[in-house]
Amino acid sequence: MNRRYFIKSGGIALASFGLMTSAPTFLGRALAETIDKVTGGRRKTLIAIFQRGAVDGLNVVVPYGEHSYYDLRPNIAIPKPDGGAESAINLDGYFGLHPSLQSFKPLWDSKCLAIVHASGSPDSTRSHFDAQDYMESATPGVKSTPDGWLNRYLQSKADSQKSLFRAVSMTQNMPRAMQGKSPTLAISNLADFSIRAGQSSASMQGGFEAMYDQTVNDALHGTGKETFEAVNYLKQVNPSQYKAENGANYPRTPFGNALLQIAQLIKAGVGLEVAFTDIGGWDTHVNEGNQQGQLSNLLRQFSTAIAALYTDLGQRMDDVVVLTMSEFGRTAKENGNRGTDHGHANAMFVVGNGVRGGKVYGDWPGLKGDQLYEGRDLALTTDFRDVFGEIATKHLGTTNLKSVFPGYTGSSAKFRGVLG
Amino acid sequence: MRSKSHSIQHVSVMPNNWRRNWRRAGAILTLVALLTSTFVAGISAQNMKAPGTKSAAKLSEDQRVLHVLNRLGFGVRPGDVERVKALGVDNYIAQQLFPEKIDDSASEAKLQNLETLRMSTAELYEKYPQPGQLLRQLQQRGALPADLAAARDNRVKGGANATPGANSPKTSDAMPGQAPGEMQGPEMAKGSAKTNVPANNDANPMNNPEYRKAVMEYYKENNLRPAQFLTGELQMSRILRAVYSERQLQEVMVDFWTNHFNVFAAKGADRWLLTSYDRDTIRPHTLGKFYDLLLADAQSPAMLFYLDNFQSVSPNAQLPQQRPGAARGPLGVLMSNNPQQQRPQQQRPRGINENYARELMELHTLGVDGGYTQKDVQEVARCFTGWTILQPRGGGAAAAAVMGRDARDSAGKFIFRPFVHDNGEKIVLGHKIPAGGGIKDGLMVLDIVAHHPSTAKFIATKLVRRFVSDDPPPALVDRVAQTFVKTDGDIREVLKAIFFSPEFNSAGAYRAKVKRPFELAVSAVRTLGADTNGGPQFHQWIARMGQPLYGFQTPNGYSDVAESWVNTGALLERMNFGLALVSNRIPGTHVDLSRFVGDMNGKAIDKEKLLDRFVTLIVGGEISPKTRETLLKQLSDQVTLPATMPRTQVASNSAPPNPFEAGFQRGILAPGGGQQQQQQQLARVDVAAIDNPLVKIAGLILGSPEFQRQ
Repeated sequence: MNRRYFIKSGGIALASFGLMTSAPTFLGRALAETIDKVTGGRRKTLIAIFQRGAVDGLNVVVPYGEHSYYDLRPNIAIPKPDGGAESAINLDGYFGLHPSLQSFKPLWDSKCLAIVHASGSPDSTRSHFDAQDYMESATPGVKSTPDGWLNRYLQSKADSQKSLFRAVSMTQNMPRAMQGKSPTLAISNLADFSIRAGQSSASMQGGFEAMYDQTVNDALHGTGKETFEAVNYLKQVNPSQYKAENGANYPRTPFGNALLQIAQLIKAGVGLEVAFTDIGGWDTHVNEGNQQGQLSNLLRQFSTAIAALYTDLGQRMDDVVVLTMSEFGRTAKENGNRGTDHGHANAMFVVGNGVRGGKVYGDWPGLKGDQLYEGRDLALTTDFRDVFGEIATKHLGTTNLKSVFPGYTGSSAKFRGVLG
Repeated sequence: MRSKSHSIQHVSVMPNNWRRNWRRAGAILTLVALLTSTFVAGISAQNMKAPGTKSAAKLSEDQRVLHVLNRLGFGVRPGDVERVKALGVDNYIAQQLFPEKIDDSASEAKLQNLETLRMSTAELYEKYPQPGQLLRQLQQRGALPADLAAARDNRVKGGANATPGANSPKTSDAMPGQAPGEMQGPEMAKGSAKTNVPANNDANPMNNPEYRKAVMEYYKENNLRPAQFLTGELQMSRILRAVYSERQLQEVMVDFWTNHFNVFAAKGADRWLLTSYDRDTIRPHTLGKFYDLLLADAQSPAMLFYLDNFQSVSPNAQLPQQRPGAARGPLGVLMSNNPQQQRPQQQRPRGINENYARELMELHTLGVDGGYTQKDVQEVARCFTGWTILQPRGGGAAAAAVMGRDARDSAGKFIFRPFVHDNGEKIVLGHKIPAGGGIKDGLMVLDIVAHHPSTAKFIATKLVRRFVSDDPPPALVDRVAQTFVKTDGDIREVLKAIFFSPEFNSAGAYRAKVKRPFELAVSAVRTLGADTNGGPQFHQWIARMGQPLYGFQTPNGYSDVAESWVNTGALLERMNFGLALVSNRIPGTHVDLSRFVGDMNGKAIDKEKLLDRFVTLIVGGEISPKTRETLLKQLSDQVTLPATMPRTQVASNSAPPNPFEAGFQRGILAPGGGQQQQQQQLARVDVAAIDNPLVKIAGLILGSPEFQRQ
C-alpha cells in the first residue's frame, strides 16, 4: 500500500466514524484533493477553446515560404518576416505567426506551444452549424450522436475525486462538446453561482439548504445537497478577490475573463479536469484585414488571453494543456470583398509545459491549384481526432479511445506526437 | 455506435386512396363514439386493480384532480381545483381532448400584438429581413442608399476596434440580425448556445453603433423589423398560451410534438420558417392522426431546411443551366437564382442528403432499434429527393418590397421538384416502391413508417414517458401501442388510453415527474395567479434553467427524464427563478401575493396559518414534515403583515405590449434592452421585497423539492 492510498483511506475512515459528519461531503472530497496535492498526486487539466465562426488558419499560421500564398491573397496576405511588427513572426523558416500573435512567440521559443497545421474535420461540409456539431461531437458526418467528446471522455474514466468541478464550461449554456451523461457545469460567471436574494441571500440559502438536506434518496435531494456544497466551496475560493500571479495581464474581455476564471478554478484545487470556453467573430467574409484589421484585432485578444493564462498558472502549466479548435478553415484565395469564404483544413494550437512545442506538426499539402481541396481550400492531412485523441490518451489518460471517439478508425499510430 | 436490429417488419401496402378513405371513415366513427360515450372505458380502467404494489394504489379524488391539472396542463391556477371538481375530472379530460370546442378568446387576445404569428413566411421574409442580407440584395439591385453603404463599409474596416471585445461571442451579435435575445434572451446571448450558432455572414455587424443606427433608421423608414423578433415573438406566444390558454392539453401536446419533431431556430432560414411550423404544421395536428402530422411535418419548410432535405437531389439530376428555358418558373429552377444562395461558401446541392431520411426513422417514427438498416436510410433518402422549399431563404423578398415591387407570396413554401427526383425503383423496409412514382415515393414511405409496429411502440413509449413516468411501464406501453395500431394512429384515442389507465392514476405516478424548466416557469406563474407578458426576460429564465424554446440544436429534442434536468447549476437557477418571480424582479411579469392574504392584513397572525395557506396554494398542501419545519423556521413567531401591501398590476385580459416592438421603437435592437441593462436588472435586488415574509415563504416553496415535481 502506498502512502497516498493510506492517507486517502484514512480520510474516508474518519468520515465514516462520524467525526466528519457535520462537514459537507464535498469538503471531504476537497480534503482528499488537498492530500493528493501534499503527496504529489496531481490532476491533469485540459482547457478546450472553440474559435466559433471558422478562423482563417492561413493568416494565423502563415505559410510564407509558399509562393502561391501570395498569389492567392494579393490584398490580405501577411508579409514575409522582416523582423518588424508588420510582418509574419518567423517560426521555422517556412511558417510564421500572424504579427498579432506576438505573445505566442515566447511560448514557441520555450517549446511550450505546438501547431498542427492542415488539420480539421474530414467531413466536407462548409456549414458552420454542421461543422461545429461534428467537431464537438467528434463524429464527423453523424448528427445523431447524443453526447459531446469531452463528456464521453469523462464517462470513459471514473473520477477518483468525485469532484463537482471536474468539468466546467465557462459559458452560459452547456456546449455540445460537454453535453452528455457525465455531470458537467456551465457557469458564465463564478460570482453568480449563488442564491441571489440581496441581503437575504444567506438566510434564503439556509432555507433551501435545509429543505434539500434530507436523507431522502432521490436525485433532487442529492443534487440539492451537492449544489450547496459547491456554492459554499466557491464562496471560500472567493472568486471576486482573485489576483492573477506572475504579472499576468488578461484582456478585459469575456474571453479573457473566462480564461481568468478557469485559472482560478485550477489554482483553487477544486478538481477541474476538463474546462471549455469559446470565442466568436472569426467569420471574416468581408475586409478581413492583413497584419492589421478585423482578424488582427481578434487574434491579439485571443493570444494575449492564452499567454496570460500561461503566465498566471506558472508551474501549474506542467499539468495543463490548452487546445484550440475551429470548425473549418477558409478559402485559400481571398474573395472579392477582401475576405475569405468557408474552406476546409485549419490550424490548431496546443499549449502546455508538457507539450513538445516549437514545431509545426502535420504534412503540408501545399497551396498550388491541384494541391487544394476541391480546387479552393487547404487540404486536410490531420484528422482533428488524431489531435483530440492524443490529448485524451497521453494527457488525460483515457484508455478507451474507441468509446470517446466512436467510429474513429485511427489509433495511437496516427498521433502526431505533440505530447511526449 | 448504435446497434440496429435488422429484422424487417412487413406492412401490407394498400393503394393510398383506398387506405385513406377507410381511415377517414374510421376517424368519423371514432369521433361519434367518443362524443356519445360516457367514458365507460375510463371508469372501468380506474376501477381495475393494478397488481398490488403500493405504488399501484389509486389516487384520492383530490390527488387525481391535481395530477390531471399538472400532467394534462401547465399546473394549477387559483380556483382550478374547485372548477375541475365541480365539472368532474373525467369530464374535464373529455373537454381537453377537444380543444377546438373550448373558448379561448381571453388567451388569444393576449397574442394580439404579436403580428408575426399571423403572417405568411413570405411576409416575414419581406418585413423581417436580416440586415446583411438585405443590404446585399439592395446592392445587387443597385438600390443601396449611400449612407447605409458607408456605415457598413466603415464598420467592417473598424472591425473589433469599434467596440472593445466586440468580437467575442459573449458580447457580440455574431450573427447578422441575431441580436442578443434572439434565441435565449439577452443573457443567453453571452453563451455558447448562441455561439454554437453558425455565423453565416460578416462578423458582428450590430456591434458598431453607427452601423446599428443606420440600419435601425433604414428599418424604421421602410417599416421593417429586425429578424430576431421572429423567434422572440414565437417564444412569447408559447409562454403566453401555456400560461393563459384554457386549452391546456393542446399546449402540452404542442410542446410534446414540437420537441418530438425538433427544429433549431438558429439554423439558417429556420428562424423565418418556425412561425408557420408552429401554426400550420404542429398545432392543427396535435390530436389527430399520426400520419397526418407526419405528412405535414415532412412537407414543412422548417423541417426540410433543418434536416437538409431541401437540398437533397438525385445525383443524376440535370442542372438547370443545361436545360433550356429552365430559369423561369418555379419548377424549372434547381436552385433559386437568388444570388444569396450562390454565395461561394454555399455548396450547390451535389446529391443525396440522408439527414432527414435517417432522422425520420430514428427519431420521428421507428426509433433507433426500430428495424431499419443503412440501406433503408439510403433508399428513403432517394424517395424524398425533390421535396424542397421554394426560395428557402426568402428570395430577396425584402429588397423587392422596399423597392416597391410585388411581394413574392411563394417564398418559403413546400414544393416538389420532379426533375431532381430520383425516379428509380426503391426498396424501403422490404416494400417495393416502383419506379416513376415522383412525389408518391415519399408519401408511400410516410405511409409505411407511420403504420409500422415499431412506430406504434416508439410513440406509445414516448407518450407514456411524458404523461406517466420516466420509466414507462411496459404493460401500459403495450396497451397504448395496441390502441395506436387499432385506431390507425389516432392520437386522441392513444391519449385516452393513457389518461384512463390504472398506471396513470396510480400513486406511483403521482408527482413522479420532475418539471422541465418550461413547465416549472409556467406552473409557477399559474400557481401564483401572476400576470406575464411572456417576454424575453421571462424566457431568459427558462433558458438559464436549460430549456430555451426552439433552442435545442440537435434533432433529438429535449430529454424527458429527470436526470437530464436535475443538475447542480440548473437547480440553483430554479431556486433563483422562484426568488426573482416572487420579488417581482422579472420585468414584464407581476405577482401580487397580497391577494392571498387579504383577510390577514394588519393583523398579527399565526405563522403556521400563513405557511399553510401558501403550502396549499403552491403544492396542494402536500409537503414533507422536514420542509414544513424548515419553512417555519424562516418565519418569526408572530407575523404582522403590513396593512397595505404593495399592489402590483393585476391580471387583465388585454394584450400585453409587445416588448420587442417597444424596444425597437425606443431604438434598442435587442428586445427588452441590451445585455448590460439586463445584467443590471439581475444585479438589482429589491431587498425590501425579499424581506417581506410572504415573498420569503412563496420563494422558498417555489424552490422546494416538492414544487419541482408534477
